[in-house]
Amino acid sequence: MTIREMLRRFFLVDLLQGMWVTFRHQNPADLVTEQYPLQRPDISDRFRGQPRLMKGEDGKLLCTACGACALACPEKLIKVGSVRDPETKKKVLTEFDFDLGRCMFCGLCEEACPSDAILLSPDYELALYTREGMELQRPQLEDGIERKVYEK
Amino acid sequence: MIEYILGYLHSDVTPGEAGNLFWVTVYVLLVFLGISVGVIFMNWFERKVMAHMQVRIGPMRVGPHGLLQPVADALKLIIKEDLMPAHADKIVFWFAPVCVVMTAFCGFIVVPFGRTHAITDMNIGVLFMLGVSSLGVLGVIMAGWASNSQYPLMGSLRSGAQMVSYEVAMCMSVVSAVMMTSLVTGTGTMSMIGIVQAQEQQHMWFAFSFFPVGLTALGVFAIAMVAETNRAPFDLPEAESELVAGFLTEYSGFRWSLFFLAEYAGMMAVSAIATTLWLGGWLRPFPHLLGGANWDTAFSLVPGLGFILLGALCLFYAVKMPKLRSMRGNLLGLAGFGAFLAAMGLFMLLPGVRTRVQDIFWFTIKVGFFMYLYIWYRTTFPRYRFDQLMKIGWKFLLPISIAVVVLTAVIGVRQELLALLFSSWFGGRR
Repeated sequence: MTIREMLRRFFLVDLLQGMWVTFRHQNPADLVTEQYPLQRPDISDRFRGQPRLMKGEDGKLLCTACGACALACPEKLIKVGSVRDPETKKKVLTEFDFDLGRCMFCGLCEEACPSDAILLSPDYELALYTREGMELQRPQLEDGIERKVYEK
Repeated sequence: MIEYILGYLHSDVTPGEAGNLFWVTVYVLLVFLGISVGVIFMNWFERKVMAHMQVRIGPMRVGPHGLLQPVADALKLIIKEDLMPAHADKIVFWFAPVCVVMTAFCGFIVVPFGRTHAITDMNIGVLFMLGVSSLGVLGVIMAGWASNSQYPLMGSLRSGAQMVSYEVAMCMSVVSAVMMTSLVTGTGTMSMIGIVQAQEQQHMWFAFSFFPVGLTALGVFAIAMVAETNRAPFDLPEAESELVAGFLTEYSGFRWSLFFLAEYAGMMAVSAIATTLWLGGWLRPFPHLLGGANWDTAFSLVPGLGFILLGALCLFYAVKMPKLRSMRGNLLGLAGFGAFLAAMGLFMLLPGVRTRVQDIFWFTIKVGFFMYLYIWYRTTFPRYRFDQLMKIGWKFLLPISIAVVVLTAVIGVRQELLALLFSSWFGGRR
């Protein structure tokens, strides 16, 4: 043991260094705790949460009812219904069912979509008491789910 | 009768010395109340400081910034079922927490919060405190034995060994401080008030007497008192990774809360000894270097201003609170608490009050410093192994404390000689 080490041990330098570390961390700026209902966390845009059907700048749905998402889905939980418009000979979306209860948020539907119409958005409060509300229909997918905000 | 009660008010000694039973009772109740409030505050403060040191926020929901959390905890503990294990020694099991609490509170009889603010002054004050506080081991061993369970027994055996071995080093360092009291007057004293007065006469806290010696004694005492009160990093009797909860394992509800109360009261008691012996007790900082009427007035304003500052802080945080309907009660509570503290601060600025309150204030600040150290140690240091604990106690602290005693004696006797020898270095400071 060198003299330096002996002096370090005798004057408890390591212990004092440790105490300085804990003292420093009392700075309120270091806090990592989020008080969730009061403070809402910032979620990354790439977070895969509630599915949405996106609209273009003209306010119309981007979905072309091609059914690529339904094919890509490993859980087969997307059902796309469409009719062909007799005048324009184009498919028109009639219904779009998304069973959130079976979704694992893999994002394959998002990848398969040729027109960027379906998006797993960063909205995250999806928990429900029953399975019934899990089957999302077009209005919920287009406008998002309205959650009841509880006041104490 | 009324004359008997009012007669004490003009004296400048403690009620115990004056022999006034009425004021003794009042002081006992006040000290009991004060310590209990201190324990409640410490519970909140420890959780808050520990949380902040660990980059968390701690209790936040019961009351503003969790201020009412200890009240909720106490309520829960009182309501909780009071279990007693089968085949437990019922009388001893019942008596153990009582014994621990009694010994923890008894020590406060001689603690001087100010020249007149003590229950009584004993000529063996320090000895009494050390003796009474070491009786607490008995309660711990009783708790471990009576529980009729393996872990509590192991815990209490550890606690007994630990408290007995650290008592030696602790007492040795106390002896050095007691020896220092005889320096100027020629007669030493073990009275707690006498020790503080000796520091006043010698114009120096004993922590700085014979420079490294007094400080070393304080250091030894500060380490030994952590072990003595079974606190981290010496909390082996309650080591939850090995012994569940040590001697507390079979206790629940109100009995457990008595142990909790006794632990914190004991921490305050040993901190009070350390403050009295080495940090000048109730004396304000620099009573001689910054002496004179002006400085006296300036320092006597500090307690009141401090309380007003605390109140302002509370109001500041009340304003910063999120504006929600559900938080309105908390907001009003914190604002009200701040207003209460500020009003108390204003009350303490009154000339008649401030001269009486400042002793208690400085004493509490110094004790509070030690209480903060306890929390600080707990968050920083990992627990020692039992053989390491014994090694620190017997091979490290005991020799140092004996050396401190010997050095104090030698320097004390040969002080004039040394002063002559080193007068060129010290510049005739003494």
